[in-house]
Amino acid sequence: MVFSRLFFIYIFLPLCLSAYFIARGTNAKNNVLIFFSLVFYAWGEPVYIFLMLFSAAVNYLAGRLIGRFGDSGKSRLTAGIAIFTDIALLGVFKYSGFIMENINSLFSASLPVPDIRLPIGISFYTFQTISYVVDCLWETVTPQKSFRKFLLYISLFPQLVAGPIVRYSTIEKEIEQRHSSVTDISYGLNRVILGLAKKVIIADQLSTVADSLLGGIENATAAAAWAGAAVYALQIYFDFSGYSDIAIGLGRVFGFHFDENFRHPFMCKDITEFWQRWHISLGTFFRDYLLYVPIFGKRRKYGGLFLVWLCTGIWHGASWNFVIWGLYYGLFIFIETLIGKKRMKRIPLVIRHIYSKAVIIVGFGIFYFEDLGKLGTFFRKLFSTGHLIGLQDKILLMNNLYLLILAVILSFPIISGIQKLSGRFCTVRTVSSLTLPFVSAALLLLSSVMLVDQTSHPFLYFRF
Amino acid sequence: MSNEKNKTAKLFAVINMITVMAVLLGGAAYMLILPHETVAEDENRKLASFPDFSAENYIDGSFTGGIADYFDDTVPMRGDIKRFIASDISPLRGRKYGGDEDGAELYGIAFEHKKTAPTIVTTTAAVTQPDVTHTTVSSSGSVSTTTTSVPVQVEEPAAEGGEINSNILVVNKRGLPLYPGGDVQGYADTINEYKQKLGNVNVWSMVVPTAGGLYMPSNYKSLAVDEKNDLDEIAKSLKGAVAVDAFTVLAEHKSEEIYARTDHHWLALGAYYASKAFTEAAGLPFKDLSSYEELHLHDYLGTFYGYTQSASLLNNPEEFVYYRPKNDVTVTQYDTAFRDPLDVALLVPSGNMTPSGYYYVFGMDDRIAHVHTNTGNGRKLVIFKDSYGNALLPFLTYSFEDIYLCDMRYFDLNAISFIKQVKATDVLFSMCTFSATGPNLSCLKANLYK
Repeated sequence: MVFSRLFFIYIFLPLCLSAYFIARGTNAKNNVLIFFSLVFYAWGEPVYIFLMLFSAAVNYLAGRLIGRFGDSGKSRLTAGIAIFTDIALLGVFKYSGFIMENINSLFSASLPVPDIRLPIGISFYTFQTISYVVDCLWETVTPQKSFRKFLLYISLFPQLVAGPIVRYSTIEKEIEQRHSSVTDISYGLNRVILGLAKKVIIADQLSTVADSLLGGIENATAAAAWAGAAVYALQIYFDFSGYSDIAIGLGRVFGFHFDENFRHPFMCKDITEFWQRWHISLGTFFRDYLLYVPIFGKRRKYGGLFLVWLCTGIWHGASWNFVIWGLYYGLFIFIETLIGKKRMKRIPLVIRHIYSKAVIIVGFGIFYFEDLGKLGTFFRKLFSTGHLIGLQDKILLMNNLYLLILAVILSFPIISGIQKLSGRFCTVRTVSSLTLPFVSAALLLLSSVMLVDQTSHPFLYFRF
Repeated sequence: MSNEKNKTAKLFAVINMITVMAVLLGGAAYMLILPHETVAEDENRKLASFPDFSAENYIDGSFTGGIADYFDDTVPMRGDIKRFIASDISPLRGRKYGGDEDGAELYGIAFEHKKTAPTIVTTTAAVTQPDVTHTTVSSSGSVSTTTTSVPVQVEEPAAEGGEINSNILVVNKRGLPLYPGGDVQGYADTINEYKQKLGNVNVWSMVVPTAGGLYMPSNYKSLAVDEKNDLDEIAKSLKGAVAVDAFTVLAEHKSEEIYARTDHHWLALGAYYASKAFTEAAGLPFKDLSSYEELHLHDYLGTFYGYTQSASLLNNPEEFVYYRPKNDVTVTQYDTAFRDPLDVALLVPSGNMTPSGYYYVFGMDDRIAHVHTNTGNGRKLVIFKDSYGNALLPFLTYSFEDIYLCDMRYFDLNAISFIKQVKATDVLFSMCTFSATGPNLSCLKANLYK
């Protein structure tokens, strides 16, 4: 099931909220959430739900065994087996086709290429299970004794299929005991609506612009290549951060406090900072669990860095463009590491902004083109000098001028700015509090009617 | 003071929570209680129906997915909501290029630098262009070729402003498809192969330009490949088969309602002029419009509106005029393998036609139609066509004794055997430029070897 569908918003969600708030006590509320989470997942994946349950069972068992074995070789072996199983599942269901295609092409072989449909959310819940097992091994969390509660952690529908990657430690206590205050529910609902609006009103509209500019890359001008990749960057930002807003908002309604996944990434001054603001839960996962894996000896700082970015790339999809995309960012972060923070800060701010935005825009171009031939054309077009801007570019940009301006403005921290002003000035607080219900209702209604108008676009991060 | 502040914040939170929950529950009631829509007339399709349950459907996800599709697709008052979005919300995305009222909107991808369009001299007067070949066939079937002078296309003046959707430019309240060019030589070679296999049968090719080829304002011409150029290339490359120059005839009448503004098809009047050109070339009788009953569909909104949802089209629906021949004809419908005959009417009764339905003739593409007329001249025509070809049928009923209308995309027989089986004297390939040189060409080729 997808959040940006009328069926979810007006049938599933009201039913789930009603059942949740009728249920008394955390135990009963957990049962309601598990039930609705399994229905949510099975709605789109009636078969692969068993894969998720299997994954949950293996990792739950591993956690119990690690808890029993304590700090011993048996614990490390158990963790190793569980992590191997997790990665193997991901490998089979996500990468086997890609691997076989490359073997065939490399060795001119004709081995059968498995055609396996990617189970929704496997990349997200697998990383959650890995983080849980490692945290159990490192004794930063206490292994969960109840399978039911562990299943709630894995299957919790707000973050199940497209993140953020929630650490067990984040919601460990809230699984046991939590309370949704009126302020939590109000905040959560507003956040859900904000996310929905970002997705439906902005991202889905931007997608037609990006596709028009980049879809015919063979005939595109340099301006279309740059503008198309920039619009695509905005589209992905509003799409994915919109999903994260919905997940965080729903979590808050149910009394969970998930960490933020985006902090206005286009405000960054360099690429290192960009990744501290973009898909934070993935970045911190790799930082905490992979960066310092001691497989590169003395060169582990740089070896680990490129390993992290290789994995970041390939996590996003079984395609070479994602590998290139990951290593591309790795390269810039490596260069920035060599330059050093102090010397980076000495570079004029304007130049740092231009540099970081240019790298980000080109990066999203790499992300867009899974076909390497087209990716090559995209690079040529970026630097082509023949025809800088075409008539179609001008028409498209003019036809979507206000949408693009709105998207750029909203990628800055406007809402947090208003919140800060509210804290400082009583009038602003009163006006914003009075208008908020109407703004929320209007955005919800506008998003809903726009959903009637369009074929549902699944969230882009559903494919990862 | 802080307590007071908390109380106020809590009160606002309660108000906000109640407001949002009211919208959610109100929306749920709206979705569950009000009657659901069943047909989308703007899109010319039936909306999703509630899925039937089976174990297989459940396992592959189509049952649960179908339930969500049903609720999403059949929202009460869906048509009104879509029109509201088209007229009041979508225009807020930006401005029309070049002007507010008649400006341009682009939908999809243009083909600006795909091929260098030839330089076109803008003129307001008809000039003559020598060396254009016309071929005529006598009523007995012999072919002769003459060279005449014809007026060249009068350039469409520059438009002030525009929009683009689904490779469509909307400008001057008219949708214009952006022709991407295609396999011109492949089309000509295929028609030549038909001619070679058919021997004495007259083979005609009448590729029809789209509205983009005729109505593109001069300042937007660079967005698409020049259709006239490709049509001329086809005509030059035909060997034995005869090209009918529909472009010139249609260009002469472009000030009349020969193409839909809100649909990607031509209108019946355009097909009338093209049929006239074809029958003149074939040396056959042709009746003017007085031999037809004129019928109207009001407030027609066609496929361009469906693709673009452009307010410029929504707010300017058109009058769809079509014609019923007054002579007696019998029409038999067959499946795509020429089986299961069924007597039908030539034109779809207007009561059964959706306001956006182009298919006023015969009603569909995926059936073979056999029209028998009282002409009695022994001429039998097989038409291989795309949806453009349907509109020709009424205007050929005074010229041929038998007409077989076959859609090249829905044909399960060997085309040559079929033509010989029905003892055709003439074969007409008539389709728009997109079909002739685009992906549909493969169907035309495949029909030779089925």
